[in-house]
Amino acid sequence: MTFSGKLSRRSFMKSTAATGMSTLGAGFASQVWADGHLPDPQSVLDQISIAGYVREDYRNLYSMSDDKPFWDNSKDWIRTVDWEAVRSELAGSTVRFAIGAADTESAAEGLEPFKQLSGIEVELVPIPDDSFYDKALAEFISGNASFDALQFFSPWLGDFAAPGFLYPLDEYAEKWGLPLDDFYDTYRLNYGFFNGTMYGIPFDCDIQMVHVRKAYMEQILGGEVDRVNSVPSYDELIRVSKELNKVEPGVSGVGLMAAPGFWSTYTWEHISAQAGMMLFDESWEPIFNGDAGMKGLEIILELAKNANEGHAGAGWPENRAAWLGGQVATNISWQDSGTQAMRPDQSQIVDDFVTIYEPRIEGGRFAPPNIAGSTSCVSASAQNPEGAFLMLGFLTTASIMAMNEANANGVAPGYRSVLENENLQAVSQPAKVWGDSLDHAWCSPRLPGAFPIEQAIGNEINRAVVGQITAKEALDNAAAAVKRIMTDNGFYAGNDPVDYAAAAPGLYVGEGKDLPF
Amino acid sequence: MSDTTPSRAGAASVASARVRPVRLRRRSRRLKVWFPYLLVAPAVIYLLLITLYPGIYAIIQSFYAVKFGPWRPVGFDNYIQLWGDYQFWAAMRNTLIIGSISLILQCFFALLLAFYAYRDPWVQGWRIIFLVPMLFMPSAVAFIYKLAFLDGRVFSDILIRLGLIDYNLAIQSSTWMSRMVLIIADVWQWTPFLFIIFVAALQGQDEEVEEAARLDGASWWSIFWNISLPLMKPVIAVALILRAIDITTMFANVFIITKGGPAFGTETISYFIYRTGFKSFNFGYASAASVIMLILTIIIAQVVVKRAFVSSRS
Amino acid sequence: MASVRKSRSESLFIRYLILGAWALFCLAPVLWFLSVGLRPRVEIITPRPIYWPTFSLDAWHMIWEDWPMAKYLRNSVLAILGSVLIDLVLAIPAAYSLSRYTYRGRDDIGFYILSTRMMAPAIVAIPIFFLFRNMGLLDTIWALMIIYAAVNLSIVTWIIRSYMLDIPKELEDAARTDGASDMRILWEIIIPAVLPGIITAAVIAMIFAINEFLFTLLIASTPDAYTMSVALANFTGGSDGVIYNAIALVAFLAFVPVFLVVVAIQKHLSRGLTMGAVKG
Repeated sequence: MTFSGKLSRRSFMKSTAATGMSTLGAGFASQVWADGHLPDPQSVLDQISIAGYVREDYRNLYSMSDDKPFWDNSKDWIRTVDWEAVRSELAGSTVRFAIGAADTESAAEGLEPFKQLSGIEVELVPIPDDSFYDKALAEFISGNASFDALQFFSPWLGDFAAPGFLYPLDEYAEKWGLPLDDFYDTYRLNYGFFNGTMYGIPFDCDIQMVHVRKAYMEQILGGEVDRVNSVPSYDELIRVSKELNKVEPGVSGVGLMAAPGFWSTYTWEHISAQAGMMLFDESWEPIFNGDAGMKGLEIILELAKNANEGHAGAGWPENRAAWLGGQVATNISWQDSGTQAMRPDQSQIVDDFVTIYEPRIEGGRFAPPNIAGSTSCVSASAQNPEGAFLMLGFLTTASIMAMNEANANGVAPGYRSVLENENLQAVSQPAKVWGDSLDHAWCSPRLPGAFPIEQAIGNEINRAVVGQITAKEALDNAAAAVKRIMTDNGFYAGNDPVDYAAAAPGLYVGEGKDLPF
Repeated sequence: MSDTTPSRAGAASVASARVRPVRLRRRSRRLKVWFPYLLVAPAVIYLLLITLYPGIYAIIQSFYAVKFGPWRPVGFDNYIQLWGDYQFWAAMRNTLIIGSISLILQCFFALLLAFYAYRDPWVQGWRIIFLVPMLFMPSAVAFIYKLAFLDGRVFSDILIRLGLIDYNLAIQSSTWMSRMVLIIADVWQWTPFLFIIFVAALQGQDEEVEEAARLDGASWWSIFWNISLPLMKPVIAVALILRAIDITTMFANVFIITKGGPAFGTETISYFIYRTGFKSFNFGYASAASVIMLILTIIIAQVVVKRAFVSSRS
Repeated sequence: MASVRKSRSESLFIRYLILGAWALFCLAPVLWFLSVGLRPRVEIITPRPIYWPTFSLDAWHMIWEDWPMAKYLRNSVLAILGSVLIDLVLAIPAAYSLSRYTYRGRDDIGFYILSTRMMAPAIVAIPIFFLFRNMGLLDTIWALMIIYAAVNLSIVTWIIRSYMLDIPKELEDAARTDGASDMRILWEIIIPAVLPGIITAAVIAMIFAINEFLFTLLIASTPDAYTMSVALANFTGGSDGVIYNAIALVAFLAFVPVFLVVVAIQKHLSRGLTMGAVKG
């Protein structure tokens, strides 16, 4: 199984290795174990800093420094937890961490500070990125998984949690003071909880957004781009993309991901959510082929007329390349399109773009979509669940996640204290809009069978996009396929694996809230 | 089949038979009989293990629903579902369409080039140049074409500069254009395969017959058409069969360039098996498709290949 | 004779036109791809393609520093050499048997071996995957060696067989009346005589092994077993998207040695590619 681009967490590990981290690794190694004693925690924490973790060229570009931190120390778990207490309980124990095989080296470096802070040894269990899903599942089924901790694509949470393969983390979160309330609700509820129990710590916190090119937009608007009002609706986006289409040779009006499989599903979920679409009703019957879902698909079909030529084959890698290469005038994609475009070594459009608030749809609601992302969990048969939890807490802590964002490596923080931080907003262009949007986020439920469901829907949507079938046929086919998959996974038989009431709060968190503008 | 070896060996050992006990002679004779089988056995056993075992495994697995847990027997359900699966038939259709168009084009170009090249003094040079595409890794070739046609839009750009079209081609939205990219990539890479064979065959033909025809005033073209080509028929058959076999297994190009293309329009049967097996984890289902492919392969092998190869042995 | 000469020069112009056009068609993508390999990343995907990029060795540094390219190379070389060795060990006796002996079932055995050439990888991909997984051989070079050997055994056998058929029987008979055993004949006479055939077979097996994609994709999942061919497909991972310049350089890295070797044996190519059916 190939998960390219967005879904591979290689991004985090590889970039940190290529940056300050590699020098850091050397520094840490030399500090170690003088006559068996662990170094003073504060000295280790002091090295987890902007100077140590963020790429030098970016630091210079934005004059980042540690007197302008991106996080709040009081919300940064590694600086609030009592490491001495950790050491007294768990020093000397070992945690086995399943890691994408290509990340092994850099993960080892990244975990050095954790080992020194906690005294816990980490044993890396390389699992091939490409077959992470089936390898992990096979290990879980065997009842004796070779790892204690793992991080994976968050839609799989249902597949792993429903059969009881994951270890509940509520007690540990309580005991060690994990700042759960610093997470935006949508991430905490959807990446962290299943049927009311906490199983995961959100790691890569994604959201899809709309980005536009400044110069082209100003041409049309005759003035500066207003993030709220310049493109207030999808009808307006359609109009704008039409005008900007071919504005210059080689530039299309809008960048769209409409490849077969889950890419199309994500684009469609993104837009339909604004029309008020919900995927299922309270009995888990698919209702997405109703009016809201249809509206979303119709908008996609309209946008497709002005989209880059490759949209019917574009997944995240192609879309990202087209956006950063300047081939599209507007783009519907993840938040990292907004950050990575700022970096001159990756982007042709530095300083020429803006991330705007989600366009609205008449009769719908403001529901920016929380799509994809990844979470960190502990396996039910873990030998050292508490140690595993602590390690995951380290990896997902606010400061490290904030610095990931500063490094523009695509791994995104989900903390209020980070996204609302002014210094971070200065180096991450989408951060303010992103943070404001999260309190209204839409998200799909974490169900067993989520992956085949997303594939099935996306395949049908792609057929509609290339004109093989109509929109109605596509969604109806998709609904039928989804029902079949759900049945295979134990739904509709009187004992649904997922309790709707438990999942419901995470599906749309914007109910009754005022708009951020 | 007459067995000459034992008698020859027997003749040789007869000379020293008088000093050897009868038992030994019979043993050495039996060894002589079995010797050729022994020689060929390791290869055959190796192949049996790699083909027979998986073949049987696939057949058995096709009667179960297999995900990650225990296998669940489902009888013929997988086959019935395949029969009604539009994606399966699309894959078969695509393989046939893309395969035959590629093959016809390759054959045409290879013959054309061979016709002009085999009498040329620089034939060696041409051969080396034409070989180049075939020696690149297929995955590399796939990326070249992905960049040239899709991501980098170089092909569109050239057409625009020539004034033939106004805007970049929307290749991924069109089934036929996506298929053409696959076809062009395959033709580019594998025409040399046929070319090399055709040139060798043409060069191996009797020059005197050609000379005689030339003296009679026949054009090169009519010589080719009436003399060389008919003589080449068995060669063309062998070459085309080999290439056809490889084309039906087209995978790398699909995997890298189109991933099955718009709405399953470029999904070949190999990719279908890969997708249902390793992306949807429907192993029993994918095995059923593999079994069908196996049956088709065996039929074609018996009917076509046997005749072309075994008879050309002489 | 004037008419003959005229048509000869006419066809000469057309001949070079057509051959030259195809040569352009062959080489243009190659040269362009080389230029892709030697440019910075930001110049690859742009609104309009850049035909004269700025020269940059970024990709070269990247493939050696950011990826275990040395490992991929090593894996490719080991897997391929190992598989070719296995093939030769199995095929030479088999070819000898098929070409120098007559016995019942010989043609059927020969045909069976040939028919494995027709086996589409996809047919046995899933069972092989499960087999290797259960044996713990997934993601090892051994698994790749075994598979490549199996895929190429038929080709190697038939090529060598074809060359062995050329050896005059008299050579063997003379040795046999001198009392030499069959094995000695094989080793000391036959093999040296078909050395060109063996080399051709080895080279062609090497090409097909390098080309092998599906099995390699399924079996190899970490740098421990990634070969160059699958590693290429890997350069689409991470937050960097598809890294074309790195891919282009790796492609050339693999191309150059193969090209040199094939040019060396080009005389034998046609015979090799058709597994003996067509003598070049």
